[in-house]
Amino acid sequence: MAGAVLENVFKTFGETVAVENLSLSVDHGEFLVLLGPTGAGKTTTLRLLAGLELPDSGKVLVADADVTALPPAARDVAFVFQQYSLYPHYTVFENLAFPLRAPGRRLDAESIRKRVGEIAEMLRIGHKLNDKVTQLSGGEMQRVSIGRALVRKPNLFLMDEPLSSLDAKLREDLRVELKRIQRDLDATIVYVTHDQLEAMTLADRIGILQEGRLVQIDTPRVAYERPATVYAAQRLGSPQINIVDTGKLGLEDGPPNAATTGIRPEDITVDADQGEEAEIVAVEHRGDETIALIEVDGIRLHALLDAGISMEAGQRTRIAIRSEYAIWFDSQSRLIGSGATG
Amino acid sequence: MPDEAQRARRALTVSNRIASKLRGLSDTAIAWIFIGPTILLLLAINIFPLLWTIYLSFTNYRANQPGRPVRWIGTRNYERLLGSEDIWGYLQATAHFVIWTMIFQIVIGFGLALLINRNFRGASFWTTIILIPMMLSPAVVGTFWTYIYQPQTGIFSYIVDFFAGTGALDMIGSVALAPWSIIIVDTWMWTPYIMLLCLAGLRSIPDYLYEAAEIDRANALQRFWYITLPRVLPFLMLAVLFRGIENFKMFDLVVELTSGGPGSTTELASINLKREAFEKWRTGYSSAFAIILFVTIFGLGNIYVKVLNKVKS
Repeated sequence: MAGAVLENVFKTFGETVAVENLSLSVDHGEFLVLLGPTGAGKTTTLRLLAGLELPDSGKVLVADADVTALPPAARDVAFVFQQYSLYPHYTVFENLAFPLRAPGRRLDAESIRKRVGEIAEMLRIGHKLNDKVTQLSGGEMQRVSIGRALVRKPNLFLMDEPLSSLDAKLREDLRVELKRIQRDLDATIVYVTHDQLEAMTLADRIGILQEGRLVQIDTPRVAYERPATVYAAQRLGSPQINIVDTGKLGLEDGPPNAATTGIRPEDITVDADQGEEAEIVAVEHRGDETIALIEVDGIRLHALLDAGISMEAGQRTRIAIRSEYAIWFDSQSRLIGSGATG
Repeated sequence: MPDEAQRARRALTVSNRIASKLRGLSDTAIAWIFIGPTILLLLAINIFPLLWTIYLSFTNYRANQPGRPVRWIGTRNYERLLGSEDIWGYLQATAHFVIWTMIFQIVIGFGLALLINRNFRGASFWTTIILIPMMLSPAVVGTFWTYIYQPQTGIFSYIVDFFAGTGALDMIGSVALAPWSIIIVDTWMWTPYIMLLCLAGLRSIPDYLYEAAEIDRANALQRFWYITLPRVLPFLMLAVLFRGIENFKMFDLVVELTSGGPGSTTELASINLKREAFEKWRTGYSSAFAIILFVTIFGLGNIYVKVLNKVKS
């Protein structure tokens, strides 16, 4: 059973094309993350699924039913917004209970109390049920927002960068919780983010969007190791993948029509016994890892330093590139081969 | 040319001298220099008159008899005021006026704001049109409404008679209708103000709240009750605070329309105050009345602001 499907969907806002001939399908119980920079059409895609926008052409299906022309209320979807969309002046309990009291879904008081209690416990806000939402911290407010989506077991959860307004520590906690909850509830989630780490850790599959078009949709591992285009390769991995013209730096053993080569920072060995002469331009120590910006033959590369190697800016060294992990692209920036899968 | 350069240099040394003088001052001293004029002005035109009025309210002073010795008579002015039945009549008329104008203006103003907020074509044009009464002088408004209210030739009486068949209505001359005549004019003039503040509140509500509610299947009434009203209420209450205080002191419109009549049916507190102070020249007595009004407004205003702050948080 498909959780949700978009078929050849177009959406424009005046002159701007937000979504162009987009087709994608989310399986039941799947966690799909849409990744892309601002303006790639992620949010529009989500709003099309929710019914907050109607497509210019194409079809939208939720739980195998054609909902293209239906309003949000008729689609039985839940939406978590980037901003906490809570009802001010009401308690956490009232906010969580609200969707259960809506017309056509009205539950009796006892079931509401039970359901709200379960969700609040799951999100660890059970002790805050009687507090007004305005008294909560940012993380708690966003948990209530997520809770409001979770209480009513909809066909489809849509989340628009729900963690982006939280601080790093909370984001990490909620990320783990969200994944756990999704597994527990067997929920179908479409999740929008521009944070590649969220995409890699949460997703069953990642959909990479570029200017309203779907560039690639694959599991995180495949998307990372076999990116469909240079653009897709640049969306995943921090620091970004190094893109070098084929033929330079001894990268010659690729397919014959290779134009550019992608090398992940972790595939460059600095302080090697032999290899290209290089100069360290800058060193970024991030605690658990150290990244060096190095210059070879006028080309600048990011490299992940092995533990135990300490380098300083200005130092000269030798680098070795594990070309067996290189990713090869043709002159149209499309993938033609990668070391990881042969 | 050298002349000019010299002058420029001299100007620079002067400004340097001022700067060095200022540099010697502490931050507190500079702060006092900045707020000093304002404080002096405030003392001269607000604080001193208030204290002087409090003093006068305990005397038998009459401003039209400057030579007469001023005698301290203790709380006698207050006793006479609070014991007088007329005073309660004036206060009652004032309360009637304030309460009804606020009710009408909240309902109509909020309603108009909801309509304007739908952003139909020409919404900003209609907003401007609606705001016109608010921008007119109360003296002008009062005068032309006396023509509108004119029982034989006025349009108001004609329209009401046309639809309700009431016959000629003497809005200003009749004891039953006169209080409503000023309520109608004040509502006509100041509803736009309430609308404007409600509109500011409505515009501050982000769309995603309504979208979230739509997904939650909230109906129109729930959307209003859970989102619109709580968000607009602080703005609305602020508007009512401003207009309520203004209307408690209502003077100009009433003078133009009814001058307190017929009899004393529309003699609001400030109308009566002006009569006592500047027609009967009972300065001490009217000072006491002014103080009572001041304390009343101040007290009610404070309670109101407390409630407002609670609503805001």
